[in-house]
Amino acid sequence: MVKKKQSQENATAITVDEDELSANSEENETYKDLTDKLANIRKEPGVIGYIIRNTTSATIDLKEPEKLVEYAIFSSQLLDSSQEISDQFELGDVTNVLIEGKQNKALCMNIEGNKISIFMEKDADDTDILKQISP
Amino acid sequence: MSNEVYAFALKSTLDEIQNACPDVTSNFVFKDGKIIAKNKTTTEEDATQTIRAFDAITERADALGDVENITIQSAKGKVNIANMNDFYVTTVSSKEADEKYVNTLTRILIPIVIKLSEKIQPASTDNETETLDQTEPGPEEDYADEATEETYAKDDTTEETADETEETNETDEAEDQSNQTYYEEKEEETASIEPETYEEPEQAEPEPEYDDEPLLPEPPVTQLIVENLGGLLVPSDTVRVDQDIIKQWNELYGDNKIKEVEVEALNGKTTRCKFKNIKKSKDSGKGIIKMPEKIQLTLETQQGELVTVKPVIE
Repeated sequence: MVKKKQSQENATAITVDEDELSANSEENETYKDLTDKLANIRKEPGVIGYIIRNTTSATIDLKEPEKLVEYAIFSSQLLDSSQEISDQFELGDVTNVLIEGKQNKALCMNIEGNKISIFMEKDADDTDILKQISP
Repeated sequence: MSNEVYAFALKSTLDEIQNACPDVTSNFVFKDGKIIAKNKTTTEEDATQTIRAFDAITERADALGDVENITIQSAKGKVNIANMNDFYVTTVSSKEADEKYVNTLTRILIPIVIKLSEKIQPASTDNETETLDQTEPGPEEDYADEATEETYAKDDTTEETADETEETNETDEAEDQSNQTYYEEKEEETASIEPETYEEPEQAEPEPEYDDEPLLPEPPVTQLIVENLGGLLVPSDTVRVDQDIIKQWNELYGDNKIKEVEVEALNGKTTRCKFKNIKKSKDSGKGIIKMPEKIQLTLETQQGELVTVKPVIE
């Protein structure tokens, strides 16, 4: 992880920890791997789009870009609220959430710090998509 | 329909689901943000927090449409919130739970119980209301305060003093008067009901009509083939039926005299007529009914056709 220390005047000192740097490269590799998988999934019939984000990066690919904010807020809310419910029943970390609405559905998951949301039409095969994306 | 209607049935069902599948650690049902029923292991807080989190999700789920199902897969178990007949059923299960089994149980039992509750309850609710209307004398305090209210009403009409207790506005007075009228009417109604229900319960309970007339079995319907009955001395309003059939009727109805039978043809036409037993021994036990031409014409039937016969109990 890269830490930024800002002084009040002008210089920006960057301290680089070698272990963190290696972890960061691993994280980036996972992110890249997941993005590739998502790009393939996106081509499948019934998939509306996806959002992937971690602490440093985010990629969004949606059929309706005007709904980008709506989808982004929703996926964030879904993961947060799901974690709340999971904590309430002492079930530990959430691995994935499937939410089905009357028109569409969404599959959200957290893979090694990468929060992924895949939006699809109701008849899309979410089980197959989960298999493809899971490590 | 009130949510309380479903509560008992659903609670029992949730408990039974958990009994059948111990891997279900918690389950509850909610609707419009309110807990309808929960099993014994679910705490109020668990349910409330879940509903709150669920509401937060649904508020932002416009892109998906109305939420029908949420499945949260966690490290140590799973939470499922499913919409069933406008109720949301939450099932929390451990990692070891057989998902198919739990889903089958929940998704079959809960909707059935909800539908049954809907079908059964309206009738019983109506009956309860009727019973209450007839017997409930109204809140006790209404009667207890009646004398006091009457006094106030009288005071208002005769004198207006500065006493704070009598400083009621006009609407209050009107209410008091209408209440008084209502209580008087109610009292009259109660008085008219009381003799039957309270003063003479011994006479009211056993109704003589039912005591005198024991329940009789439904008249047995026998299918017979029509045969012509002719001759100079044959009455035109009497059919002849097998002796064994008449015996059966007599055994069934004991002292109740059977004077007539109802005959129905296949075309649906019916007639009542007198009956006698078949004289000739060669015709008995053949499943026939001997019928004069006049009755055959009435029924628009003829020899060889089937008719049904049942006794008329007087």
